[in-house]
Amino acid sequence: MKIFLTDGTAAGFYTAVFDAYGHEGSMITSCDMQLGLDSEITEVTADENKAKRVTDKLCKIDGYATGDVDLALRSGDCTKEQTAFEYIKLIVRSGRPVRRMLSQPAVIEMNGLTGRVAGELHKMKGFLRFMETADGALYAPCSPDNDIIDLLAPHFKARLGAQPFVIHDVKRKKAVLCDGNEWFAADAGEAEVYLSEYELAFENLWRKYYASVNVDERPHEKQMRGYMPVRYWKFMPEKKGGA
Amino acid sequence: MLDAHTLQILTESAKYDVSCSSSGSERANRKGGLGNASAGGICHSFTPDGRCISLLKILMSNECLYDCEYCPNRRSSGTERARITPDEVCRLTINFYRRNYIEGLFLSSAVFDTPDRTMELLTETVVRLRKLYNFNGYVHLKGIPGADAEIMMKAARYADRMSYNIELPSEKSLKLLAPQKNRDALLTPMKRLQTAMTYDRENKVRTGRVLPAGQTTQMIVGASPESDGQILRLTEYLYRRVGLKRVYYSSYIPVTASPLLPARPAGLLREHRLYQADWLLRFYGFDADELCGEGEYLSEEHDPKCAWALKNMHLFPVEINSAPLETLLRVPGIGARSAYRITEARRYARLGFEDLAKMRIVLKRAKHFITCKGKFYGAEGTAVRAALMSDERCRRGGQDEQLSLFSTASDAVAALTGQL
Ligand code: SF4
Repeated sequence: MKIFLTDGTAAGFYTAVFDAYGHEGSMITSCDMQLGLDSEITEVTADENKAKRVTDKLCKIDGYATGDVDLALRSGDCTKEQTAFEYIKLIVRSGRPVRRMLSQPAVIEMNGLTGRVAGELHKMKGFLRFMETADGALYAPCSPDNDIIDLLAPHFKARLGAQPFVIHDVKRKKAVLCDGNEWFAADAGEAEVYLSEYELAFENLWRKYYASVNVDERPHEKQMRGYMPVRYWKFMPEKKGGA
Repeated sequence: MLDAHTLQILTESAKYDVSCSSSGSERANRKGGLGNASAGGICHSFTPDGRCISLLKILMSNECLYDCEYCPNRRSSGTERARITPDEVCRLTINFYRRNYIEGLFLSSAVFDTPDRTMELLTETVVRLRKLYNFNGYVHLKGIPGADAEIMMKAARYADRMSYNIELPSEKSLKLLAPQKNRDALLTPMKRLQTAMTYDRENKVRTGRVLPAGQTTQMIVGASPESDGQILRLTEYLYRRVGLKRVYYSSYIPVTASPLLPARPAGLLREHRLYQADWLLRFYGFDADELCGEGEYLSEEHDPKCAWALKNMHLFPVEINSAPLETLLRVPGIGARSAYRITEARRYARLGFEDLAKMRIVLKRAKHFITCKGKFYGAEGTAVRAALMSDERCRRGGQDEQLSLFSTASDAVAALTGQL
């Protein structure tokens, strides 16, 4: 099998689509996975020109298709490029938007993938936790499954108004920073954070609230974990330490 | 700063009020302000009982003039009392909100001093939040029955949602168990607020609209003898005539020993069935009459849609490729999302049984009520009932108490999982 290995960027992906198109049974991935002996690997270097030809073609058929692909490529899932590739092939073959062809396997896969990314985006709007720093800014570390902090930024910008804030994806080592006017994305490794003198007191009040609002007579931990998976807990004051 | 013990008392006294929804409002942030309301509602955490935390839900005070039989805060109970000021509520709300712990505030109170005074302080809190703290997040205020209409209208211009709780499903039970309350003192303010909301809508009022997220109410189920049929008729009246957004049911839990009250809690299954029926009234085009006779109870074995379908087998099976959306919505096991997906997908291709399975539409129950391209895959005649029974039993897993009503407590979550 022919495998096109990309650098994980959108341009790299679209270049791979350009190269792989027409090779029956070829695969695109950015994951360094164990490959079968019979697979033939081609490393793809992003080529703006090729990428543009693919996106232009897509846009002509369906103005929203690149948006779907953008969301899909944010996934932490190793099959994301292949899923997006199958989706693109179906669009080109059909010559029209396909997202509502809900019984097509390529559409089912793609909608499932983008649905999981959008689902986590919605969850993170609730589960993200800010801490107040000594200089009055808000700092939220997190490690979402999908690469989404720049999609979270506009939501929190609208909420927090003139309040400066930082959302830090510690796993991907990147952050979005907002000075109260504009927000932008940046690389960010370790962060040194000095907390405000009130921070701990409010975290404690929140923990108290969390414990008091629970109805002890009706335990349903399974449901709690279903809606709020354990991997999100380590940044949430009410769950730190696994309570 | 507020001390943790006070917060504990005022939280514990408020927590049995099941309304935690924060949806339905789209208040935008203003320049220099903090917060906005999200139309879909957001859950910020989940507690070990499986419920969603969306709002900071507390009482301003649990000191009460009244003596409602079922209530842990009633005058004659020996519970520990506490009270906080409007400004303390504001500061707590702002600080929780900035840290993204909550979506907003749900402020309620027992009736201290006088009903007017209580309502005044609740109102002062929301006005302070909006004007002094420039807060545009979600605020739900509890209406205090018997308080002056002027104060109520003022509160309604600043809050997103208000709720007057019906508490008990009939005037008779109200007289017996909550003697200081009466149906009119609850319904009159609801209707007045609804009139003001209608006025705003018809006159396209943009800023300072009254209650953009509407009104809700709550009733206790199982503390008094009303049947499900009576409760659903009241619910239908509240949705279709008064115009409420949500009716919440709270399964009775004995917190006070009283000769007037049942000693045992009402089962969660009953409450769960009522929520299912409520869902059918709101989103599936059912009438109370179709679901449950006046003096009757909902079926324990089958969910209300299934029970209705079993009584109306002559209407089935329906063909998946041609049945209109309203009909698909009435098929047991096919929820709103599945029905929508079917109508979309069949525009491009005729759907067979395997296509539905691929689309991850759950067919376990539905297969007895549909045909795909004319073919039927279910059981015939009385076998349907048996097949559904075994299915229902396996879904319930024999533990009714685990069947959390609270799974319906959040609109956000229910909208994703509300497949009946
Ligand atoms: S008025 Fe409210 S707080 Fe007071 S006793 Fe009745 S239900 Fe309880």
